[in-house]
Amino acid sequence: MSFTRRELLERCAAFGAITLATSIPLSSLAYAWDEAEKKVPTPACELGPFYKRQAPSTSTLRAPGDAGMPLALSGTIYDVRGAVVPDAKLEIWQTDNLGHYDIEGYRYRTVLEPGTKAGYAIETVMPGHYPQRVCQHVHYLVTAPGHKPLITQMYFATDPVFDGNPDKNYTRDPLITSRELVRPVMIKGEAKQITAVVNFDLVMETL
Amino acid sequence: MRNFSLVTALLISCATAAIASPAPTKVQLPCESRHQRLSPTGAQAVVLCKDHSIHLVNLPDGSERLLYPADRRISELSFSQDGKWLAAGFHDGTVEVISSDGTGAARQWKADSNRIDNLYFFADGKKLFVSAMNHPGTIWELAGTPTLLATLPDQFGGVASVAVSPDGKWLVAGGGDTVVRWYDTATWQKTREYDGFLLDSFALAFTPDGKYLLAGGADSRITIFDVASGKQMRQLPPQMGSSVGDIDFLSDKSQVMTNYFDNAGEKPPHRLIWDLTTGQSTPVQIDFRPTCGSVVDGKLWLCNSDGKMLTITQQQ
Repeated sequence: MSFTRRELLERCAAFGAITLATSIPLSSLAYAWDEAEKKVPTPACELGPFYKRQAPSTSTLRAPGDAGMPLALSGTIYDVRGAVVPDAKLEIWQTDNLGHYDIEGYRYRTVLEPGTKAGYAIETVMPGHYPQRVCQHVHYLVTAPGHKPLITQMYFATDPVFDGNPDKNYTRDPLITSRELVRPVMIKGEAKQITAVVNFDLVMETL
Repeated sequence: MRNFSLVTALLISCATAAIASPAPTKVQLPCESRHQRLSPTGAQAVVLCKDHSIHLVNLPDGSERLLYPADRRISELSFSQDGKWLAAGFHDGTVEVISSDGTGAARQWKADSNRIDNLYFFADGKKLFVSAMNHPGTIWELAGTPTLLATLPDQFGGVASVAVSPDGKWLVAGGGDTVVRWYDTATWQKTREYDGFLLDSFALAFTPDGKYLLAGGADSRITIFDVASGKQMRQLPPQMGSSVGDIDFLSDKSQVMTNYFDNAGEKPPHRLIWDLTTGQSTPVQIDFRPTCGSVVDGKLWLCNSDGKMLTITQQQ
């Protein structure tokens, strides 16, 4: 079970774990704290033409021997109050390292149910570029009861399209709706076994 | 169609063998242009210039007027079926309807908060289907100040394609969630849905007699539905590696012209003419690289631009 800041504060007060030496009502203080923890909804992007239903559930999209730089992609699903969304369903899909979507099958496609902690982590490869799109990207579709479906795409700050300056150049891909969707990339591992590591949290709006 | 760039990408193709055709029409363009769109009557072409301005060119005399300067962010354009009206969708969710002959005031309104992806005039030109990125489709009454008639709810992903039956009783929408939904236009209630597709349908078309609905998309094949029952009747053979982008009926009502684009974007699109009675297809063979195409009066028109000259040929 997880609590919002507000719920935690009120529970602490109820058990005497905190005392309030001010005239500010507890509820006001809690709301003020909540306000600081509020999260901005993840900007939306288009679904794209090659979404495919009924993908298998797997956290390992990269098969042994797959070409391309290994990519470890992870994050947590929140609501706008900053609470995790425990009953979300997450669909992720991307091209292979050459920029090809698997239309006939389900390579590099997965459906995950992150559970109570709302965290996800997948092992995949860096997607490739392809002629109709400027930037490498990973597609996300997140659904959860009581929340608006979130459809978005994640981009890589290391994409050569950005010339090392995604702040300035992210609009080179006209489909990137927000700089926030361009994520930093950490490189980990030894020279022959490096992995790109990206964190991408998702924030859903309530209905 | 999801956006203007996708539509134009679908229209660029190259084939090998030439076939006989009437003398081509040539007009001087007002700018360097790689992408154009023909009106359903063939009387005009919308020209997207390299500087992102958009012009309307009258055919065949080549007279033109500027529709939108380069700083307007157009996401979609669509002619009414009689060619008299043109609807423009913008990135900020605004829609504008203008008369294609330049008379009368434009009607502009904020139809959505997201980018407009799909515009479709009903046959009488009095109603307009509008859908925006990831949002449900909406129906707008165009008489006077445009008013919202209905919102057609879906699960997610907006609308990839739409068609209205010849008798006007059905509106069918192919959702981004891959579900094909049928709406009764008298009540705007969803009365059927088909969830047998795993991938998007990019093109929907009713047969001219209204008895069948054809759907095609990322699964590379055309699926034929019986309108009376809503049931799937049969599928035409797939074109592996390609998606169906457009379906148009030719003057021989048993024939449909289908445009396929390469899923990887590495090969040029190709066109096939399917005979629905035999299930056989014939490739459309041309010896130039089209930059736009349309079925006008049941015949396939293709155009190509070389610098500032637009050449339009009517295919046999």
